[in-house]
Order: sequence, then C-alpha cells, then structure tokens
Amino acid sequence: MGKVAITIGVAVVSILLGSGCGGDDSGGSRTLKWYVFAEPSGAFQEAADNCTKQANGRYRVEIVDLPTNADQQRELVVRRLAAEDSDIDIIGMDVIWTAEFAEAEWINEVTGANRQRAERGVLPGPLETAKYKGRLWTVPFTSNTQLLWYRKDLVKQVPKTWDEMIDQAERLNTTIQVQAARYEGLVVWFNSLVASAGGEIVDDAGKPVLGAPAVQAAEVMKRLASSSAAPPAMTNNKEDQARLGFESGASAFQVNYSFVYASAKTGAETNPATKKIFENMGWARWPSVDPGKPSRVTLGGINLGVGAFSKNPDLAQEAALCIAQPDNQVIAAEKGGLAPSNEALYQDKRIKKAFPFADLLGESIATGVPRPVTPAYSDISLAIQQTLHPPQDIEPKKTIEDLKDNIDTVSNGGIF
Amino acid sequence: MAAQPAATPAPVAQKGGRKRLTERARAERKLAYMLCAPAVLAMLVVTGYPIAYAIYLSTQRYDLRFPDDREFVGLSNYGEVLTSSTWWLDLTNTVIIMGFSVAIELVLGMAIALIMHRAIWGRGPVRASILIPYGIVTVVAAFAWRYAFDPTTGFVIGLGPISETWAPLAERASSFFVIIMTEVWKTTPFMALLLLAGLALVPDELNEAAKVDGASTVQRFFRITLPLMKPAIVVALLFRALDAFRIFDSVFILTAGANDTETVSILGYNQLINRVNLGLGSAVSVLIFACVIIIAFVFIKGLGASTSQEDDR
Amino acid sequence: MTSHTARERILWTIAILVVVFYALLPVLWILSLSLKDPATIADGHFLPQDWSFENYEKLFETDAFTYALRNSIGIAAIATLIAIFLGSMTAYAIARLQFPGKGLILAGALAVAMFPPISIVGSLFDLWRQIGFFDTWIGLIIPYMTFTLPLAIYILSAFFREIPWELEQAAQIDGATPWQAYRKVIVPLAAPGVFTAAILTFIFAWNDFLFANTLTSTDKARTVPATLAFFTGGSQFEDPTGVIAAAAVVVTIPIIIMVLIFQRRIVAGLTAGAVKG
Repeated sequence: MGKVAITIGVAVVSILLGSGCGGDDSGGSRTLKWYVFAEPSGAFQEAADNCTKQANGRYRVEIVDLPTNADQQRELVVRRLAAEDSDIDIIGMDVIWTAEFAEAEWINEVTGANRQRAERGVLPGPLETAKYKGRLWTVPFTSNTQLLWYRKDLVKQVPKTWDEMIDQAERLNTTIQVQAARYEGLVVWFNSLVASAGGEIVDDAGKPVLGAPAVQAAEVMKRLASSSAAPPAMTNNKEDQARLGFESGASAFQVNYSFVYASAKTGAETNPATKKIFENMGWARWPSVDPGKPSRVTLGGINLGVGAFSKNPDLAQEAALCIAQPDNQVIAAEKGGLAPSNEALYQDKRIKKAFPFADLLGESIATGVPRPVTPAYSDISLAIQQTLHPPQDIEPKKTIEDLKDNIDTVSNGGIF
Repeated sequence: MAAQPAATPAPVAQKGGRKRLTERARAERKLAYMLCAPAVLAMLVVTGYPIAYAIYLSTQRYDLRFPDDREFVGLSNYGEVLTSSTWWLDLTNTVIIMGFSVAIELVLGMAIALIMHRAIWGRGPVRASILIPYGIVTVVAAFAWRYAFDPTTGFVIGLGPISETWAPLAERASSFFVIIMTEVWKTTPFMALLLLAGLALVPDELNEAAKVDGASTVQRFFRITLPLMKPAIVVALLFRALDAFRIFDSVFILTAGANDTETVSILGYNQLINRVNLGLGSAVSVLIFACVIIIAFVFIKGLGASTSQEDDR
Repeated sequence: MTSHTARERILWTIAILVVVFYALLPVLWILSLSLKDPATIADGHFLPQDWSFENYEKLFETDAFTYALRNSIGIAAIATLIAIFLGSMTAYAIARLQFPGKGLILAGALAVAMFPPISIVGSLFDLWRQIGFFDTWIGLIIPYMTFTLPLAIYILSAFFREIPWELEQAAQIDGATPWQAYRKVIVPLAAPGVFTAAILTFIFAWNDFLFANTLTSTDKARTVPATLAFFTGGSQFEDPTGVIAAAAVVVTIPIIIMVLIFQRRIVAGLTAGAVKG
C-alpha cells in the first residue's frame, strides 16, 4: 500500500511540475532553442535548418514559436527571462528590447571576434538598434521600415510632405491609412514624425527632449485625424487594417511595411479586384515633415540575442551569428518579405527581385532611426500611447508638454 | 442564534450526566476542527501569504528591469499611485462598469427570474439556455462580442440603421457599452438564478390574498414581492458588485484598456507584468484589495447583506 | 391553474424565445465565424456565405492548441478534485457537527472567493519564479484554490445540510455496520451534491484567464483561455479571427453539452449555495 502510494505520489508530483517539456541532449549534440515569432513563410525555419547543417553535429537549432503580436512577444519573453528560464538560448528580439534586456542582464554582451563578425557590413541604422551604451548586445538580422504606398492610377503627383499628402487626399476624396490604434504602431508613427522634423524623443541619458519638432509631429497627427482624409476606424487601425483598407480600394494612400506588397501580390492571383489594386500599386519615400528635409523613418526588425541563463551560451552566440549571415537574410527577404540589415545585399539581384523597391527600402533603412534607446522604453512607449491617443484630441503644444512630464515620471519608475 | 442542524442523534440515556455530554461535545469539536483544518489552512495559505508578500513588495522599489536598484521605500509607492491621475481614472472606469452592469443585470435578471418562475410552459428551455452564458469561458464571450462589433468582420456594423463606418471599440463611450454588454450577457444568468431562489421564498398565499383584494400585478410586485425578496437581492448585489469590481478578462480582450476604459485590474496587470515593476504593481494590488473590503463592508453593514446560511429570519 | 388564454400562451412564448435568443446569440455568432471560409471572414454577414472547415484544420495544424486543451482539462480536473476532497470534509463538519466558528469559516470562505486575483498575481509571480513553480501545473493549481475551495465548501455545505442523517442511524439500527450504512445510505444521498459541486467548480477553474496568463509561458502549462489570447495569424500583422473562433467553439461545445445535461443539478447548486431556500 505504501509503495503504491509513493509511486503514485512521485508520478503526480512529476506531472504537476510540468509535463511535455522540450527535448534536451540527444547524445552529444546540443539543442539550442530559438525563441522567435512564428514567421509564416518558413524562412526562419530554413535559416535554423541551415545552421543546424553548418554546425556539423555540434548543435541543433530548434525554433520555439512566440505570438505574432510584438507586445505579446515581449510580455512572454520578459516573463520567462525574469523567471531566469534556462530554456531560452537565442531570442529573436524586436529591435526595441535591446536596452531593456541589456540593463536587466537578461542577455549576453557580444564581444571580441564575435562583435566584429556581427558588425561587419551592417547598415548604420540597424546597427544602432543592436547597441546600448556603446556596447554590442545583439546580432542584427532583419530590418524593416515603412514606405508610402499609393495608387498610381489615382495619384498623379506623389506628395513629398505630410501636409501635401493630406491636401491631396482631401481633394481626391480618399483616405490615408496609418496605424493610429493605441499600441506600438502609434509610437512608430510619432517617432518617425519627430525624427523627420529633426528632433528626438529622449536624449542619450533617457531624459525627454521633445521640443518644437515634437509639436510639429503632433500637429501632423492631429491634422490627419481631424480631416476628411482620416479612415473611419483610424484610431483602431493597426498594420493589417491599414493593409485591408488599401487593398479594398477604400484608401489611395497608406504608410506601411513591405509585407503589403507581398500580400497584394498574392491576393491579385485569385481576386480580380485586388489585381487591379496591385497593378496600380506605387511606392515612394515616407513623407517628410519639413519640405526639403528628407524623412527619417523608424526602424523595426529582428536582432538576435543570447539568453543570459542559457546552458550553452558560446554555442548559442555562434548559432546566432550563423543565423544572421547574409545568405539567411536573403532567404528571409525572398520568402518572408523581411528586409536585410546587410548593406551589400541591397545590390544583390535576388533582393532586387524580391523587392522591386529595394533601392528605396535600402535608402530608408540606412537613414532610419531607432525608437528611444533606454531600458524604460516600454514605459515610454505606453506613455506616448496613452498621451497621444486618440490623435484627434491632441492639442499640440499642451499635449507635448504633458508627454514630457509623463515620460519624465515613468522613466523614474513612477506612474502619471 | 445558530439553528440546530438535524445532525447529532439525541443521546439515548445520559449516563454520567453533564460531564459525559461535554466530553462528547469536545470530541465532536475536535473532529470538526480536524476535518476543517486542511481546507481552512489551504485558504489561508493561498491567499494570506501572497497578500502579505504583496504588502511587503509594495514597500520596495523593485523593478525587474533594474535589478540592482532594489531598495526599501516605505509608503512612497502608495503615494505615487494615489497621486497619479491614471489610478483615479481607472477607479472611476471600474465603478462605472460595475454600476451599470450590476444595475442592468438586476433588472434583466429579475425579468428572467420572473419568466422562469411564472411561465406556463417552457421553463426547461429557458433554464437550459440561460446556463449557456454561465458555462462559456469569459474570454470566448469577449472574443465573440469583439468580433461582432469589429468594423470589418462584425455583423452588428452596418446592421439596419447602424452606420457602416462605426467602430465602437475605438471610442470611449461605445467601448464601455460593449464591455458592459459582454459582462451583462455573461453574468445575468447567475443573477437570475439567485433572484429565482429569492422569488421562491415569497409565499404564494400572500399574492393570492392581494389579488383577491384587488391589487394589480404591478402593485403586487412592488409592494409584496420585492420587499420580501430584499435579502436575496442584497446578497445577489453584493456578489455581483464584488465580482464586477475585479473585472479583467472582458476588458483585456475587448480593449486592453484603450480609449480610457482601463480598469484597476488592468492597471495592476500593466505594472506587474508589462513593466515588471513589482513594487508599484504590488501597491496597486493592495489598494484594489482594500477597495474590495470597503465595498463588502458597505454592503454587509450598510445594507444588511446576510450571507449566513443559518439565517432564520 | 385554469386554462390559459391563447394570448397568454403567445406572450409567454415570445418571452421564452427572447430569452433563448439572448442566450444563444453570441454562441451562434462564434460558431458561424468559425465555419466561414477565411477569405470571407471580413464580409460582415452573420451567417457564412462560404462554408468551410479550414479554420478547424488550421487550428489543429500545430500542437499548441492540443497542449492547451490537455493543460486546461488536467489542471481544472486536479483543482476540482482537491477542492471537492478538502471541501467535503469541511462541509461534512459544518453540516453534521456542532462547533463554534462555523459562521466564521463560511464567511471566511466567502471572503476568499471574493478576493481580487490581481492582488496576488504579482506576489505569486515573484514567488513562483524563485521556487520554480513558474509555468507548471502546480503553479496554477495552488492559486486556483482561491476560488475552487470556497465554492466547493459553500455548495457542499448547503447540500449536506439537506441530507437526512437520521437515515444512517436507522440503517444501523436495522443491522448495518457503520461502514455499510455510510456506503449504502449516505453516499448515494451525498453523491448528487458532490457531483454538482464538482461540475460548478470545474467550470470555474476552466474559465480562469488571469492566473493562466501570468503564471505560465509555454504549452507546458498554458491553458486554453490564455492560449486563445495569444494565437498567431497568417503574417506578422494578421489577426487570426477564424482560428480563434474555431478554438472558441472547440472549447465551448463540451461545456454546453455538459451544462445542458446537468442543468437541473447546476441550478440547484447555484441557488443552494447562496440563499437558503
């Protein structure tokens, strides 16, 4: 009786402490877990497989899926890193997490020969996003930024600035798709506007700067939100709603990532209405704020970090460098529509084939800007989201002043 | 006074007098305490320890993203929260949602209870169907309503006189509307059942007598039924009010607190999980706990809610 | 009473239909969404124009949802068992035995049930990450005690109160041993109450979102509600509406069936627990 009870007890306890965990050592070869969002085209999986092959039996790269929503990705990864999870070897990090993870000592610094390898040939914009306080913390992998997409058949004169575009849209009785829901995309929009106006949100020490360029940015946001060029559910729209709005023909303009091109292309194969839209899809540089001053857009993308509690940190670092190599970046571009971070690739004909707009994309990324580089970034992002949403309620001067106070409060660990 | 349960069989003969009884009573008590101990201990441990730990954490400046900055800061986290406009806004939002949901649920629940009590046929189907909202996972219900009101996928938008371009979950007032509707839909059955039990306590003879005396249905309802149901109503309100104050799931799925519909639970969640600021988040948690105690107090002392099962009024 | 006029019948029928429609509307909607062909998901109609099971196929393409189901069922079941076990002992004491503090225990149980989960989520997260209970079944089962245990105690005490305990005595007088009396008389009488309490407790545990969300992070222990909120879509930016609807249906249908079969018990349990009647 006692023995049975003990056996049952042990079984119960082991079930309770966790069932169905991932595999570990398979006879000498280590499994490195790569936590990254579930990339639907399989490009990341191919990269992982390539690196497993290149490792010649020393390790295997296995992908663990994260949700597609960036906020949710961060939530899950942060929770596990805070719990000092040793299962996380490589992390597909959104570019905005670098400072936070570095300060919290959740990732390992990239030093020495590894650093040289990681930095080689990378565009300046993406490289900035991988650094914190001058040191390199992640390996740049893919990049991303927004372009202006418009309907060639409706728009005769491509607008150069936001004001021009809003004027045109009002005249043409159409709308401009942006991402103005209360989420990270709103911060991306604001960040791009501020940078294009020549300013910055925070300085190197993480203290808010804002000032006149921010007021200009706020004015643009308010203008669009209150004009007839604002799409109906603008304040609830994220990237996909914007894409749908353009693809359905309701809007003649959208600012969005390059995935919209691939999406329209696929849709055109089956839907004649989408085909018409796709054939008339034009692209241009993200509109400026000041006429004459070229725009500077916010960078997105994925960098690869090594988990600080990993059991195989050196192997993981090697695997990360392997995953990020140019050949894998080409696969990510061709299959997944993700822009490379490597400069030379923009001259590569495979990239040019995947992105007819490769030159423009490369230019935008090269001059792109990161979002505020500070460990408190997620707080600042929330502060911006809360203060600037909904954009039609913005009173430019006052709202920016409030924003400055709020950013100050949250970067000191408070709530406003 | 506690009603005597029909439990202990009467002693056949009192041998040895009072001392024997007391011994027996003592043995009974001992058995009772032993039986209750595991559950009571479990409840204490599962709630007592975490809340004590939360109080402890709330006195620290403790942010997992700045692990070297941990220090004791006394009550300053509370000061921070109580002087922030976000806390008061969220508290207001929570009270708004709580007030409207409970009020609507009371009316709807009473209607459904009356239907179930007095229907001449179909009590079975009604009872069965109202249990369905009760059994559905809250998150599922929230998704259903979210998709129903979504401008692209939803069937509500464009229905009849409703404008094709309305996006309810993008504005404050309409977001509240959808949130409250989701809550009401989900928990009215529970309210209806509680009220039905209360309805069953109203003696039919009183109603009959009043009818004979010429009272109309409405008069009978407000003068006889409602007053006699007061204890049941107050208990139902207490349960629902406390439940509504803790609302999280629906708001999280529908708006995640956007459009100024953030509730205090979402605020706590954001601090604790998003910002991993355990110090500030714990202060919010403790404040929420205090609010719940206050609400319960108001109901029990002020309105005389009696939740004792030994109420022999 | 006497015969009812046709008008009365019609009015009551309308009332019944309204209530039934009110209860079923969102369920039918989510069912309809799940059966819509993904290309037509944005057409805004209530019923699918193009029927397809594609959403269900996509749902089970990966193991994520299956693991979530396994976790939900297992964790809710274990939490229920523990709650019933501990709760029935307490309920037995409250219903059958004389001792001071009964009211206190019931009031205490109520207080625990009304506890705002958000108030302990933070401490639990910190505690669990230190002792290693983060992302485990037991890491969820323990906080689930905050609502399963009080609920079980309340429902069971109400049911046990109604049991005529003298029958046990009578059986013993008739010659049965205490064990036989217990097994053949008391257990059948107590069984319905225990069963009801188990159903209601299970539904409650099945429903939890906040704890599952914050105290888990992988399919080792993440339950269905938490997984629903984190579903992946077609591209980095697409909303997986159809798949979520399919998942919602899969999670809801068994509960609906269970609720329909056991509706009498459930109603009895809910009303017994709250108001003496």
